[in-house]
Amino acid sequence: MRVLVSESALAAWQPTRANPWNRSAAAHLIRRGGFGPQPGDLERALDEGLERTIERLSEAPDAHAENVNGIHSLLGVGKLAHLQAWWMSLITEGGIPLQERSALMWHNHFATSNDKVDDVRMMHAQNAILREHGLGDFRVLLRKLAKDPAMLVWLDGNANKRGNPNENFAREVMELFALGIGNYDEHDIQEAARAFTGWGTLGRAFAFSPDHHDRGEKRIFGRRGSFNGDEAIELVLEHPACPEHVARRLLTCFVSESPEPTDVQELAAILVERDWNIGATLDVLLRSELFFRSEHRRGRIAGPVELVALTARALGRAISPTRLSLAAERMGQSLFRPPSVKGWDGGRSWINAGTWLARHNELASTVIDKSGKPRAKLNETFASASNRREPSARVLWALFPDGVEAPFAKLMREAADGCSSEQEALARVAALALSAPEYHLV
Amino acid sequence: MLTTRRQFLVQGIGVTATLSALPALTGALAPRTNRRERVLVVLQLSGGNDGLNTVIPRTQDAYFRLRPTLAVGSNAVHALDKHYGLHPSMNALAEVFEEGKLAVVHGIGHLVAERSHFRSMEIWHTASSALPLPASGWLGRLADQISERAPGSMPALHIGGGMLPLALRGEGNLAPTVRDPGGFLLSPNNESFASARNKLLNASDAKGDLAFLRGSATSTYHAAERMAELTSNETSVAYPNTELGRQLELVARLISGDFGTRIFQVELGGFDHHSRQAPAHQALLAQLSNALAAFQQDLDESGDADRVMTLAFSEFGRRAAENGSRGTDHGAGAPAFVMGSRVKRGLHGTAPDLERLVDGDVAVTTDFRSVYSALEKDWLGLKPSTSVAPLDLLS
Repeated sequence: MRVLVSESALAAWQPTRANPWNRSAAAHLIRRGGFGPQPGDLERALDEGLERTIERLSEAPDAHAENVNGIHSLLGVGKLAHLQAWWMSLITEGGIPLQERSALMWHNHFATSNDKVDDVRMMHAQNAILREHGLGDFRVLLRKLAKDPAMLVWLDGNANKRGNPNENFAREVMELFALGIGNYDEHDIQEAARAFTGWGTLGRAFAFSPDHHDRGEKRIFGRRGSFNGDEAIELVLEHPACPEHVARRLLTCFVSESPEPTDVQELAAILVERDWNIGATLDVLLRSELFFRSEHRRGRIAGPVELVALTARALGRAISPTRLSLAAERMGQSLFRPPSVKGWDGGRSWINAGTWLARHNELASTVIDKSGKPRAKLNETFASASNRREPSARVLWALFPDGVEAPFAKLMREAADGCSSEQEALARVAALALSAPEYHLV
Repeated sequence: MLTTRRQFLVQGIGVTATLSALPALTGALAPRTNRRERVLVVLQLSGGNDGLNTVIPRTQDAYFRLRPTLAVGSNAVHALDKHYGLHPSMNALAEVFEEGKLAVVHGIGHLVAERSHFRSMEIWHTASSALPLPASGWLGRLADQISERAPGSMPALHIGGGMLPLALRGEGNLAPTVRDPGGFLLSPNNESFASARNKLLNASDAKGDLAFLRGSATSTYHAAERMAELTSNETSVAYPNTELGRQLELVARLISGDFGTRIFQVELGGFDHHSRQAPAHQALLAQLSNALAAFQQDLDESGDADRVMTLAFSEFGRRAAENGSRGTDHGAGAPAFVMGSRVKRGLHGTAPDLERLVDGDVAVTTDFRSVYSALEKDWLGLKPSTSVAPLDLLS
């Protein structure tokens, strides 16, 4: 196995006096590897250290199986809102942080929308694949998703028949799922589409119709054979561009929206060496020097789902997952309903006047109710910590573990000064903090 | 009160250095030189409106034969010409027609038979039946063109509760959604909160994503303030107290108040009447007709009528024959409405012939893209989505 030399960006990070394992580093790890710290998590992380904090991202909370299986009794109702709230509850509290984080990444990568699939059970079954295999062997993940009924409906696999091939799935496997533009040509897509003919669904299960399968010879990536669908998937997986495509996805999700090509190449090599195991690859990435660089901390615009989850967790308050899911939808991200097979574009495209308004209003409403009154128990939410008693300092301590600039803190102190009670001061400062652009960088 | 807040905002936000380098999001910040720019309002009737019971072929025997329980008596309709009339509940829109401000386009649809709501809407929204689905919609592409010519404007808005329609997705930007017919309502928004909020936007120097977010926040708050001003203006027109009425009232306020937006999309849903259609359809048509007529009257009174064109379309019509549940199933061709004082009034396209149905449907005789071309090219003066020749719709 490759030994990572210390000059490598992916070599393990060694905290130093100048760049120590502190609240900022711990918060960054828990924000990216999970959905942010809950009250007390950062203190514990500093106590326990980096290794243990990474381990905890993969640990199941109490009642994990019940949380995951709780949806079954509701699937028969057929309402997407139930499925959305269920997943949101796993993301915010009930799931394994890194597993849910990677499932959300793959939902964006293999973006499938119920708007077309129109079947909550199928969407749930696909989500179960993302959860079960999202940290396992990428090759298994792709093979499973290629035959996933929701995917077959979504990309018209059902309509792909001998003599009249539908290229939708073949195209997206190459363009979006496994290779990226420039690594195949139109001919490869047409030929692969022929290999996939006959794949379809029967009820909610995968079914192969030999009558509709084109048994003729195909030529894919320069290789000839009477390939079937399984063999076409293997050809895609054997294509040299595939590991880098996967590595790029991991880097854009966990580190930076514009990864360096050298980092992509190195992570791709690590992926292959670790038998394409995504979890093992992330294990390297999440403890790397690259990951902990200060430029990546609070270095990207939060997506709506992660933003509402981070906020619910930071506040340590039980907020109904239905409400969180609706809030995320208003901010432009409705789970199980990505806008296209490309998924959500992310970054600055999350932001326009309508979505910013939703961010402002929805986040403020977690601390101030409709009538403008502070929500109950803000005292407990923002308990005195680390000898901080002044309301604005307590709020900033909880919501900005990386700290804020002095002028920002000063303005917050002034905003609290005019308030008539501690509750009111906490609510006002928290609402201002949550709607401040700084808070939306994660 | 409003003046005070606005003055405060203008003073309270440093819109100079940071914003000039940013894609500002609102016309509220742009110089108000856009007055008299033409505007397009698109009203989507979702679910598949029953065209035959909207624009009724009152002299065709087949209509009464195909629809034993759903046919509307020929004397009750509002005559448009010798052969067609509007549903009896659409008296308000019939008056707009009398005034010469309404065009009916017969038999509109797309040329590929498609009875799925989802897929049919995709084709309407993208102006294309290609797969994989184009990433942008026809209105989004128009908004992109407007943005290029007038950076810093808010070219398109989606008014309504749901997700952003594909039609409004551009290559780069997505149109904002205005959820509340009252406009962008900020909460909390008392003066001292707003003051603190705005100071924070200038707390320190910023670059990169933080500068971008601050610019976006600043323009959002400006847009909200401007909308609050505009919605507080009095109007003498009585809009129906329906969601569509309130939404179109907002659109009219934004147009007459020179907000700067040139493309609006609004939706009225619920047209998928597979059973017991008559009462529900009648109520929806009344809602549609009353809201559209009030909107047109409002524009007439504000002096903006000659720069606004409104298109009302549905993803498909319904089967010519009613089904066994006093409803109708998904069909093909259907009429669309184009409203405005500059429209060529009357009935356009080939009228449906119920003796010559195609698979039980009204034939599609007008390619929907010819209406798009007319609105894109002839009305807005922009590059059309397709090369389909425009229908002659403008007077």
